[in-house]
Amino acid sequence: MKDEGGATGRALEPPRSGPGAEGSPPGERFRPGETVVVKALDPPHHTRAPRYVRGHRGVVVEVHGVHPRPDDVVTGAHPPAMEPVYAVRFSAADLWGEGDHSVTVNLWEAYLEPLPLQGTGP
Amino acid sequence: MEGFGPVDPTEDGRAFHADWEARVFALNTALIRRQAYTLDEFRDAIEHLAPERYLASSYYERWLEALEGLAVKKGLVAPGDLEEEGGDAPGPGPRGSGEGRGR
Amino acid sequence: MSVPTRSRGQREDGHPDSRLARRQRRLEELLEAAGVVTGAELDAILDRYLATAKPANGARVVARAWVDEGFRHRLLADGNAAVAELGFSMGGGIQPQLLRVVENTPRLHNVVVCTLCSCYPLALLGPSPSWYRSEAYRSRVVRRPREVLEEFGLHLPGHVEVRVWDASAETRYMVVPRRPAGTEGMAEDALAGLVTRRGLIGTAAV
Repeated sequence: MKDEGGATGRALEPPRSGPGAEGSPPGERFRPGETVVVKALDPPHHTRAPRYVRGHRGVVVEVHGVHPRPDDVVTGAHPPAMEPVYAVRFSAADLWGEGDHSVTVNLWEAYLEPLPLQGTGP
Repeated sequence: MEGFGPVDPTEDGRAFHADWEARVFALNTALIRRQAYTLDEFRDAIEHLAPERYLASSYYERWLEALEGLAVKKGLVAPGDLEEEGGDAPGPGPRGSGEGRGR
Repeated sequence: MSVPTRSRGQREDGHPDSRLARRQRRLEELLEAAGVVTGAELDAILDRYLATAKPANGARVVARAWVDEGFRHRLLADGNAAVAELGFSMGGGIQPQLLRVVENTPRLHNVVVCTLCSCYPLALLGPSPSWYRSEAYRSRVVRRPREVLEEFGLHLPGHVEVRVWDASAETRYMVVPRRPAGTEGMAEDALAGLVTRRGLIGTAAV
């Protein structure tokens, strides 16, 4: 969808370098404009995928830098995975079956998967 | 979660409603900067407050509760040192799922 | 059923905060005794925060964007770099944040929330208002933003697209409201004076 707010779709670099920044940064699995699905995860630990988007499909709008995955930070995984964080846009109609607005949520790469291939998914 | 009524839009322009709230804010900032725990661990601690305590507590009361639990968890204070008169020891409630409050 | 969080802490003994104040003092004393923090450090954190973090900062950024087209483009492309031109940094708090500035237009209205907790660009907006932290706002603005905005007295025509931004990671969002009509020729300082904290969050027109 056309973005009038000035989003260029290019990656926004974070102003700091995270742990383990030596070596080449991780590649980005998803691209702006691509449709993704939020995994239907329900972990017992801290996670930053809001419930209301789990299992839903959205469109990647932008990449918002690379950051340590919070799930790893709280479960003590060392070092925490450094992953791209995507701004993913969901339509209200998809999320709740009503409404004409959109909700754009920041999601770590691990929370996302590509759209299933035609004929193989729901 | 659903079922919440209209938003109360009133604002009084105050950052904190009591000195203790300001000190809790400052404590959290200092502890994270000193790497006693991470911001993620702090959020995790808030999310693991027992639901009834979460809903019954004001914003900074939740912070205080979380900080007490983290201070004990990280071995910075002994659990007994924080017991309230009446034995209402702070600490996490039953572990619910990771992301808070079924949003 | 709405749960008023502001009145929580009222206890039968009529001293709502004293028990909490005692708990906080005890925790602080224990941590100081353990050498983990110092009282002076806490004072400095509070002094700096209260002195530097205020919505007038965000208002200045908006006013500059209104009068300077080049700055506006830079602000929308890279919020951190642009606000640094005005001497602002997103790094004064716990950790640096990625600032994403989003612009209202005649056909688009942006509104910001943190559904998971209450993340907020403190450096540019100052302390967050109680309503922003409320369960009611956090759960309802993603579901029924127009309804919530009406509760703030903001009515949006049907042809205006509503875009809600949920600050669920390290990005912090700020809205550039539309410049009010009839302000041509106003000085930048005066323009900044028109911008409210609600406008920067998206719950007011400006």
